Amino acid sequence: MRTSYKVLLGSLAVAELFVSIPPAIAHHSGAGFNNDKVMELTGTIKEFQFTNPHSWIQVIVEDANAQKVEWSLEWGSPNSLGRQGIRPSTFPPGAKVTVRLHPMLNGAPAGGFVGAKFADGKTVGQWEK
Amino acid sequence: MPTKAGAILIGLTSALLLVPGLSFGQREQTTVPAYDKLPDWSGAWSMVGGTVFDRATQTGEGGAISLGVRSHPPYNAEWEALYKTHLDKRDKNLFPDTISNCGVPAGFPRHFNLPDLYEFVVRPEQVWVLTENGPNIMRIYTDGRKHLEDQWETYTGDSVGHWEGDTLLFTTVALKGYRDRDVILDRTGLVLSDKSHATTRIRKVNPTTIEVQMTIEDPKALTKPWVVTKQFRKQPAGTRIYDYGCAENNRNPVDVKTGETLVLSPDGTPLNKD
Repeated sequence: MRTSYKVLLGSLAVAELFVSIPPAIAHHSGAGFNNDKVMELTGTIKEFQFTNPHSWIQVIVEDANAQKVEWSLEWGSPNSLGRQGIRPSTFPPGAKVTVRLHPMLNGAPAGGFVGAKFADGKTVGQWEK
Repeated sequence: MPTKAGAILIGLTSALLLVPGLSFGQREQTTVPAYDKLPDWSGAWSMVGGTVFDRATQTGEGGAISLGVRSHPPYNAEWEALYKTHLDKRDKNLFPDTISNCGVPAGFPRHFNLPDLYEFVVRPEQVWVLTENGPNIMRIYTDGRKHLEDQWETYTGDSVGHWEGDTLLFTTVALKGYRDRDVILDRTGLVLSDKSHATTRIRKVNPTTIEVQMTIEDPKALTKPWVVTKQFRKQPAGTRIYDYGCAENNRNPVDVKTGETLVLSPDGTPLNKD
């Protein structure tokens, strides 16, 4: 499976923006993510886990072999996100979305969430940075 | 044989002699300040800056998980060497944050080094410092009680104090420190021993800033007192503080064998493992 992710990253022309954006991780070290790299993926929202200690955005992304792969994007606590206007409805299941993330160092389908842009142009998180 | 006037005089004198005793007893009662004489620390507050515990002595740029970042407490040689091993483990993602398992309090002094919001609840007999992250509660008794002589060590210890004007002054003793490997000060791996204790001053330095100055002593780990100051910024009026159910969906547990902080898939499979 890990090999197919590497194929996926190459064949989908994933944008790797080498910028530094601090992770919104308060509960644990955040190690395991490459915080110096930003990856971009396009897919469909499966679920938004608006939960403590961290929220998770589950996104289904189709790889180069037309296989559907579930990505896990870790974000902040619902407490801090809620005070910034984020709600459980912010990522509705089924919505098409492009996401940016700090990928895991070992290539697993997960990372620290940076920002998202929906089909209608609405953005969430640090999309503009 | 005493006269009637003499007896009255003796009685009055005795009564006057008793007054200091009564007065002392009353002072014991009145060490608890009146509610309307206490400062207003209401509202929600957020710690200023990142979670490197002693930012005044920090070297390296970035946060507590950034390579090269450390602070410089006045450790003795033994504890400086221990701290260096923690820094090395931190750099390899093998120094776990003890609160990542959602089971123990952050403890003192880390209580004043947490993300998310704070409340400082001031009452005549106690002050409660509540942290949303955790959540954690620190009780500081201001009703005149003393530390127990046989107090056992806990995460947050035992705190008693009093008011000096608008400044809360208290001492904290009976701390576990790093004895059981489950209390740290920050993610660089700062730790103290079970002989640590502190004197803390909290005051509102301006309408939007509360300052906490801790003087930490630790005859086992430090060569001299370590003074660390943290500030807390007032949040907009009406700010809400929420539940922090740490175990609700913890997808970052610690691998007990390696100390590695894991990232779990939705079905619980560790994604760190190749």
